[in-house]
Amino acid sequence: MKNSISQIKKALIEKKISVGELYDEYLAKAKSGNNNSFNLVIDRENNISSINDSQNRYDNGKPLPLDGIPLGIKDLFCTKGIRTTASSKILCNFIPNYESFVTQQLLNDGSIFIGKNNCDEFAMGSSNETSYFGPVINPWKNKNSQNDNLVPGGSSGGSAAAVAEGSCVASMGTDTGGSIRQPASLCGIVGLKPTFGSCSRWGIVAFASSLDQAGPLTNCVEDAAYVLNSINKHDFNDSTSSNHQREDYLVDINNNFEKKIKIGIPSDYLEDVSDDILNQIDNTKKALSKHGIEFVDVKFKTTEYALSTYYILAPAEASSNLARYDGIRYGVREDGESLDDIYLNSRTKGFGDEVTRRILIGAYVLSAGYYDAYYRQAQKVRRLIKNDFQRILNEVDFILTPTTPNEAFKIGDKLDPISMYKNDIYTVPTSLAGLPGISIPSGLSKNGLPLGVQFIGNYFEEKSLLQLAALAEKELSFNE
Amino acid sequence: MSDIDIKRISYLAKLKLPSEKEEFYSNSLKDIIKWVDNLKKVDTSKTEPLHNVTEKTVSIRDDEVSKSNSVDDVLSNAPERAQNFFKVPKVVE
Repeated sequence: MKNSISQIKKALIEKKISVGELYDEYLAKAKSGNNNSFNLVIDRENNISSINDSQNRYDNGKPLPLDGIPLGIKDLFCTKGIRTTASSKILCNFIPNYESFVTQQLLNDGSIFIGKNNCDEFAMGSSNETSYFGPVINPWKNKNSQNDNLVPGGSSGGSAAAVAEGSCVASMGTDTGGSIRQPASLCGIVGLKPTFGSCSRWGIVAFASSLDQAGPLTNCVEDAAYVLNSINKHDFNDSTSSNHQREDYLVDINNNFEKKIKIGIPSDYLEDVSDDILNQIDNTKKALSKHGIEFVDVKFKTTEYALSTYYILAPAEASSNLARYDGIRYGVREDGESLDDIYLNSRTKGFGDEVTRRILIGAYVLSAGYYDAYYRQAQKVRRLIKNDFQRILNEVDFILTPTTPNEAFKIGDKLDPISMYKNDIYTVPTSLAGLPGISIPSGLSKNGLPLGVQFIGNYFEEKSLLQLAALAEKELSFNE
Repeated sequence: MSDIDIKRISYLAKLKLPSEKEEFYSNSLKDIIKWVDNLKKVDTSKTEPLHNVTEKTVSIRDDEVSKSNSVDDVLSNAPERAQNFFKVPKVVE
């Protein structure tokens, strides 16, 4: 099993390893680049002052919560002075002169960034195949076809692959419709999407602002709590940032629940799924039943509308958000005789196929004559979906679902967009409702590939959600 | 669903699709719009649209002057600049 943050900190405190040696160890793996999980790797000399400062704090016996921990950062977070591309041609030369809120918190807590993780272009994709810098390869192989390269999932595919291959201790990802949880599941690691409004979106390249949320991809549930403690704070620069009181997510994480817990399993999610997927739910159920946790069947009324709602709202918001890329103020400019030609040429040549497709969908559903029928109707159905979740969460404490409908597939396998979009069937509804969800590895498929289950909790109740996930992780003992 | 005028949609999105790709995007858009059409059968006559899921996040900061980006910061990524301006082709005749 890979070392957890608390184990690494212990080794640093006991001087079994120095911050510099630790950095070099991860850097060597990140640089080998076998799985294309990084768009950019940061050499030791460019991090030397952070490394020395961190070592000094250990030497003085006053380390910060994430001191010296090498982290990967999805290439969607603006990092001051460090190229930030959103894996797009149109931003391939962009160097932000400010730091995103979330990455600033991680720096304040002593962590050191090892590089920027590859992702789908503008976070649009479920397989990390839409990146301008090429696809990311899943470190796992199908035991029945060892030579095939598999997708890591997406859009935080580089983050998931990097954590799985051991080239960073944890990585910051973003999740709009499943972009943390789905790749975590396909790479056999933990992925947490906090409640919408928990972690500031300021400085994250925007995709769909009513859905985007930052969260960690980690080797274990406790590591997710470490990172969440750092990034979950109110920020005035994000008008949707919630100002509720945050908790310490590490305290009590390994304790049993004091009250009786009831978990709902939506039976409609399990129709037509493979035995591989059903086994994950059964195993999790068995493992947790030992602790007196009760499982009940719950029924959603809105599941069949979730993907349609998402594929209207997310592209609509994306088409507005991506209007800013015009070749004038930053990013790549393509020549043109008039101002309008510059706009048209820069955008047409700067965006890849999937991003272009989503911009077109968005422009269509927002255009005169279609706005009410599509965009407004989708916003109304979104309320029904949220109400549906609230009804269920009045009956149960948590919801358990598969994270994905399948194991990792071959690179190049799923060409038509709708089949690709269906990969997010279990993660999209939670995103629309804005609820927190965590994927933890639960077992292997018949082909020896990792699969995950998702726990969904109530708004801003990440503390009990992590507690449940930690208990399930211990019982399922995937990492052992 | 009426036919999709891909030229109009791409114009609205400020994209100039190469003619050999127009059909590809047009068909793709048609498939997706057909796929999401099932929302039309949902009765939402008594439902308000949902814009912000948490609906309780409005917080107002003190109105204080603070330093943010300098002109050089803002212009540092400009593809073309002239003095303190972004440079573009002549717009006014």
